[in-house]
Amino acid sequence: MQDKQFMRETVTEAAHAFRAGRLDRRSFLALCGMAGVALPSVLAGKAEAAAGEIVMWNWGGQSEECHGSAIGVPFTAETGMPLKFDTSGPLQGKIKEMVDSGNVTADVCDADLFDAVALGATGHLEPIDYAVVSKDKTLPQYALEFGTSIILYGYAFMYDTEAYPDGAPANWADFFDLEKFPGQRSLYKWANGSLEAALMADGVAKDALYPLDLDRALAKITAIKDSTIYWGSGSEAHDMLVNGEVSMGMVWQNRGRNIEQETNGRYKMVMDGAIAMPGAYIVPKGNPGGREAVMKFIAVSQSVDAQLGLFSCLGMTPTNPEAVAMISAEDAPYAITSEANMAVIALNDPTWWGQNTDAAVNAFLEAIS
Amino acid sequence: MSTVAASGGLTLRGLVKRYGAVQAVAGIDLEIRRGEFLTLLGPSGSGKTTLLMMIAGFQDATEGDILLDGQPITGTPAEKRNFGMVFQGYALFPHMTVADNIGYSLSVRGRPKAEIAGRVAEMLELVQLTGKERRLPSELSGGQQQRVALARALAFSPPVLLLDEPLGALDRKLRVEVQEQLKDLHRRVGTTFIYVTHDQDEALSMSDRVVIMRDGRIEQVGSPEELYTRPRTEFAASFLGKSNFLQRDGRRWSIRPERIDLVAQGLGRVSGRVLSLNYFGPVLKYQIETAEHGPLEVDVDAWRGGPALQPGAQVGLDWKDDAAVPLDE
Amino acid sequence: MTRSSRLNPAWLLVAPLLLLVLVMFGGPLVNILWLSLTDPEPGLGNYAALIEKDSLRKLIWTTLRVCLITTVLSVILGYSIAYAMANVAEATRHRMMLFILISFWISVLVRTFSWIMLLGRNGLLNNGLIEAGLISQPIPFVRNEVGVLIGMVHYMIPYAVLPILAAMQGIDRRVLQASRNLGARPAQTFWRVYLPLTKPGIIAGALLVFILSLGFYVTPAILGGGKVLMVAEYISVQILVTLKWGTAAMLAVVMLASVLALLYILSRFMKLSAALGGGRT
Repeated sequence: MQDKQFMRETVTEAAHAFRAGRLDRRSFLALCGMAGVALPSVLAGKAEAAAGEIVMWNWGGQSEECHGSAIGVPFTAETGMPLKFDTSGPLQGKIKEMVDSGNVTADVCDADLFDAVALGATGHLEPIDYAVVSKDKTLPQYALEFGTSIILYGYAFMYDTEAYPDGAPANWADFFDLEKFPGQRSLYKWANGSLEAALMADGVAKDALYPLDLDRALAKITAIKDSTIYWGSGSEAHDMLVNGEVSMGMVWQNRGRNIEQETNGRYKMVMDGAIAMPGAYIVPKGNPGGREAVMKFIAVSQSVDAQLGLFSCLGMTPTNPEAVAMISAEDAPYAITSEANMAVIALNDPTWWGQNTDAAVNAFLEAIS
Repeated sequence: MSTVAASGGLTLRGLVKRYGAVQAVAGIDLEIRRGEFLTLLGPSGSGKTTLLMMIAGFQDATEGDILLDGQPITGTPAEKRNFGMVFQGYALFPHMTVADNIGYSLSVRGRPKAEIAGRVAEMLELVQLTGKERRLPSELSGGQQQRVALARALAFSPPVLLLDEPLGALDRKLRVEVQEQLKDLHRRVGTTFIYVTHDQDEALSMSDRVVIMRDGRIEQVGSPEELYTRPRTEFAASFLGKSNFLQRDGRRWSIRPERIDLVAQGLGRVSGRVLSLNYFGPVLKYQIETAEHGPLEVDVDAWRGGPALQPGAQVGLDWKDDAAVPLDE
Repeated sequence: MTRSSRLNPAWLLVAPLLLLVLVMFGGPLVNILWLSLTDPEPGLGNYAALIEKDSLRKLIWTTLRVCLITTVLSVILGYSIAYAMANVAEATRHRMMLFILISFWISVLVRTFSWIMLLGRNGLLNNGLIEAGLISQPIPFVRNEVGVLIGMVHYMIPYAVLPILAAMQGIDRRVLQASRNLGARPAQTFWRVYLPLTKPGIIAGALLVFILSLGFYVTPAILGGGKVLMVAEYISVQILVTLKWGTAAMLAVVMLASVLALLYILSRFMKLSAALGGGRT
């Protein structure tokens, strides 16, 4: 989900070098100028929203295509309004900055439900109009005041079958057990999912995770720190596994299927203890397209066709129970909230994360660095 | 002076330096006597600087040998030759004080501090810079820098001192003053000086012997007086001083302008007509057209002999037998 | 008479630009300073945290350590490269310069992943060493601080090479000949004459590398395997993820102040070196 962000950071870094270089001796001007070659791309990929259209703020790439075909097409057919994209990645800080600056250019953000909790509490979001958006077409606990979950992604781990021929790891306890399953591990760098995994490994029941016991989780994580590397983007997680840097690694659950197929089954995903994450549509306060239009857009996103379209295109699991029920038996193991998976997975609590992200992330960073 | 050279005789034998097809030095044979002041004089491109660099060890000889007191040093690296050198532009170490510059040669030889300090003081006195030891080169005048360069090059009592146009950066008046100081210094330290210049006045006034170079070869070697009074080639005659050239008895002759006397019309060896005259303080320079030898230059002491001749005046020219010098073909 | 008391009209031409610079550059700076003193509450709390909080001290220390080691290694390696460049034929030097400049065109991301391909647990080097029987377990070259240093030094070497090369090319060859002529061995000439004369280049290169290193983000994030947390990445997290803008602003102010202090030292030093005759005679 954050791949795009890394590309952007690269570009920004080049721009930084350029600027820093200009501070110094004249002879570097030309050289540093070369670092600035990529500068125009910082400015690319941004649409300006206006009335009569909806601008979705997301991470671009495949996600842009899939949203366009699964939701944009039916939405435009129904309302006549086009769907445009700003692909610069709606991180919390950027949404806050946009609303605070008074120059709101996006109507809906493809964000996390915990963002809805955090930014809703500080007055940066429009509340969801549940007269237009249906609470029945999502999981009951994921229809919140300032955001509603449209799809689910999640965290699971995959292992190298060749590394463990005598018995495969089956759960997070095995993942954290270096004696029984020696080898390098990878975890997500920004705490989310990694903390839940550590607690489950330490014996906490999957439905008794929250409020997270940070100290306990971090103790578990630091215990295997020397054998763990941490990733910040989905492609990094993918590379760490298939390049053989780790023999067990956390991945985005919706990417697991691709990795299994790409490696002809050498890497297998373990769904036991997978943590389902509610992706959410949230609306920056004062969105240019107007509240009515954007609520209509969210309602269209809840339709069975739109949700199944996203599932087949991105591997993200629908939240609409009707859509989940229509997933084929072959695809069901990869739908994180399929009936079989529901028995073994944990559900992320967006309220806890919305209130504790800063403490959790900073404590996690301190522990791993 | 403590620098009495125990050695310093150099022999150059068949020295050649080629850069690709270009011969910078085209076969030099020369004996340089211990303690003499020898000047390599020539126009730019004559090979004099290349020759000096070969003696210093910064340029390898393509052919030939260099011997110091009979011992070959052709392959010896520059740092082991123990020759002092004063560079064009001085090449002082800009980051070191005057004292550190002068003491450098002793310091790199690992001499004790006290000895270095003593020697530095001695050298400063020699070049009259006592009191400037803590200055940086950039804080000194050009003439002072030049003296530091000399002191630095002489501090380790080298048998040979090489000087590459050391006065080039000084203005004319200062140059004459420094020439005398250099000459005086040479007498006091007794080191062999090999001095490169393109300035004939410097060469004449300071040297024991002058080597006139042209196109990588030696044109003529001799004392300044010998070279001036008995040049062997047209090039030598015209490069050192001015000269008139005559064709007589099937060969070329050189005659210096000041050796021609002006006499009354009809007298003397030839007659001529004044073309122009120029007043130069002590001398009057005449251009005189003659039927036999074309235009001749004649210098006359300005205080002698009445009113100056005006252009167009007819005049006789005379000279003594030994004034005309026969040249090699 | 009146003309001298009136404002030079040239100022009117420059004024819009000055204003733009003031607004576009000064404005955000003041904003950041303000933020560091007011978010989440007015006072010096954000700055006090720098002293009180182990995590921030560790962050600063990691950043300083990585940047300092990067600087030292980049300057040493850059010096060697510049020395080679200064002492080859001009055509060869131009070719070498081209290689140095080409490296500017390679994106940080590409370099970073190339290092992982080359030096990772399953990378070319480790596989080669294992196949050759020299090691039995892969050596952890990357995904740790060593990896960060490799990646950063590789990126920074050109920035060290250029000012050092400029200093080397400014040295009068005759000064080096003078040293040899006075009996100094090659090593003595290097340590006592060559190195001191290239000192301004070394200092300029070191400062440039150090200041650029402070802002490094992608390389430590990826090659450090998440375990080498540096200020730039931390600031980004505080702004984008945890919304601790006051902390981020404080760190930005501290970084900016450190860089300005360094530049001030540089300017002092450069003047000093000119006074010392660091240029030519």
